[in-house]
Amino acid sequence: MTPPPFLGLVFTLAGKDWRLFWSDRRAAFLTFAVPIALASAFGLIFAKPTDARATTRLPLAIVIEDDGPFAKRVAEELLASDRCEATILTRSEAEARIADRRPSVALVLPHGFERLIEWRPTAIQVLHHPLANAERQIAEGIAMEIVMRALAKARFGAAVEPPLRTEAAAVGGPNAAFHSYSHSFSGMTLQYLLFWGMESGLLLLRERQRGPWQRLRTAPVPLAALLAGKALATAAIAMLVVAFTFAFGHFAFGVRIQSWAGFGLLALAASALAAAAGLLVAAIGGSEARARSLSILAILGVSMLGGLWLPAFLLPNWLRDISLALPTTWAMRGLDAATWQGLGLATILRSTGIVAAFALAFLTLAAWRLSVCESNRKRGLA
Amino acid sequence: MAAAALCLRNLRVRYGDRFAVDGVSIEVRRGEVVGLVGPNGSGKSTTLAAAAGLLDPFEGDVAALGLLQSADPAGFAMHIGFVPQSCALYEELTVAENVAFFGKLFGLAGRDLRRRTVRALSRVGLGDRGGHRVGALSGGLKQRANLAAALIHDPAVLLLDEPTAALDCAARDRFFTDLDRLRDDGHAILFTTHHGEEAEGACDRIAVLERGRLVACGEPRDLLRAPAGGRALLYGHLRSRPLRFAVQALRTKLAAGVKLEVTGRRLRLAAGSNEDLGRALAAVLAEGFELESFRTPPAALDRRPAPLATEAA
Repeated sequence: MTPPPFLGLVFTLAGKDWRLFWSDRRAAFLTFAVPIALASAFGLIFAKPTDARATTRLPLAIVIEDDGPFAKRVAEELLASDRCEATILTRSEAEARIADRRPSVALVLPHGFERLIEWRPTAIQVLHHPLANAERQIAEGIAMEIVMRALAKARFGAAVEPPLRTEAAAVGGPNAAFHSYSHSFSGMTLQYLLFWGMESGLLLLRERQRGPWQRLRTAPVPLAALLAGKALATAAIAMLVVAFTFAFGHFAFGVRIQSWAGFGLLALAASALAAAAGLLVAAIGGSEARARSLSILAILGVSMLGGLWLPAFLLPNWLRDISLALPTTWAMRGLDAATWQGLGLATILRSTGIVAAFALAFLTLAAWRLSVCESNRKRGLA
Repeated sequence: MAAAALCLRNLRVRYGDRFAVDGVSIEVRRGEVVGLVGPNGSGKSTTLAAAAGLLDPFEGDVAALGLLQSADPAGFAMHIGFVPQSCALYEELTVAENVAFFGKLFGLAGRDLRRRTVRALSRVGLGDRGGHRVGALSGGLKQRANLAAALIHDPAVLLLDEPTAALDCAARDRFFTDLDRLRDDGHAILFTTHHGEEAEGACDRIAVLERGRLVACGEPRDLLRAPAGGRALLYGHLRSRPLRFAVQALRTKLAAGVKLEVTGRRLRLAAGSNEDLGRALAAVLAEGFELESFRTPPAALDRRPAPLATEAA
């Protein structure tokens, strides 16, 4: 009888963790159900029509304080516009509703609005919720366009079509229409992979305090095989989570993978990252309670900054710059590129390479730290 | 004399600046049970951990079948079966899955692994419990499963850390029956215990540790304080646990000066001479007590460890 080869040991150890994972069926079910539930919820919240023809209409209130025909005409034009969803209210009604952001903006056509026809300076008052600056600007644009068009008609007697028009084109890929479910399934899956890695790390932390670890350490098994086995099992289950979550996303919400090769490589790198992060938790976490608290803080932080919850463009510029140093940012970019953006393999490979480099760095650090811990323990120093 | 299967030579193990084991030398031969006895903090478990390769000695050597742990850790580990004090198994897996898993770590596979798994389970009387989850077993059964996992690769040396600490009387009896069988199968066994009585009944030799130092090591008769007039002793395992009133009735049948102790299924008879002991044994059997096995050591260990009698080196 001779000790088994290194790879054989790794697969045996990974097989044990695989069986331990499935031994609690309910916990295993939740491992797959939780990212799906989170992704579905986030996708639903941020779902917007992706069809260019079905543009989003801005909810808008109109307050008419001038009883002249020009104010009436402008109000009619606003009501007919396909860029806003206008409702006529009194000023007090508008103010009350704006407090609830239903809608967030109101255009007030004030007394003396009729004087505009005589080209005399007049102001449209824009009432808005303090947090609705973006909507305010859109409302100002709509008002300006419609009033000027109505004014031209009133002064020159005919509708005037401006010689300028805009043509919108999404940059980033041939089919780059934002799909909220693609984004949320990518983000929530990545976040959950990190949580799964943390759980696996905490399991290792616990295992190291218990009897089975002592038995493992008296068997002819090098520490490297123990860590590789743990990482392999964690990564394999993470891959399964990715596959299951995106399969659900595809069939339930139309999440589409446009580069299978890129997606597969990135999923592999992200799974390796989860496994390496888990080992890092076990290596530097100290006690289980401390490791759990710090890991949750770190995971939520890198998830938010990496754009896993909300698209990164919503973050301030300085935060977006910082987030480039995070693996989650690159993993998210890669998944976005492989799904709704439909970018080429080269773009995805760049992200994959960076994520894999982070995984390797975490793995090296964890292995070094754990080998020091084990060595200290053997020498009676820990 | 057979060569030692396990050899601890001038072992010194330290925790930080403190030496928990200081210059301990013990040899265990195949077919021999050696008990490490001593109070809490005497260095029993540390000695065993160093013998298992869990701790690196500051000085000294550990060897199994002549193979130095420091020179060939993997080869050394192949000869060692370690049974930690707590259940060193995965509670979520079945007994057979656990045993087979540890077997794979020792290079076993396929039919050989299956055969050995069945054998290891049957050796500890768990042949019909292979499919049970470890977490669902009682303390006694867990300890037997713990032992089975250490036996899967049929190691020459078995190291058991406080194996009876969490067991009730019946489970303890059963454990010592298993230990007798393992000794007969040729394993070299080193185990730690707090209980001098256990060591007295089950060990061929006893090593007494105090503050990390070996203060006595030898056969029970070497460590004896010979009582005045001498004593004849018999240790036995009964087939079943007797009722208390049956034991009391038996005591009335025994001659004055014969002492009977029954703990669970374990029986200890002490008499003033071999003749008295023989008559007492006959009375025991006549009362319907069935002995599964018994042994008659030349004398018994005093409850207190004797001063250093021999020091193996």
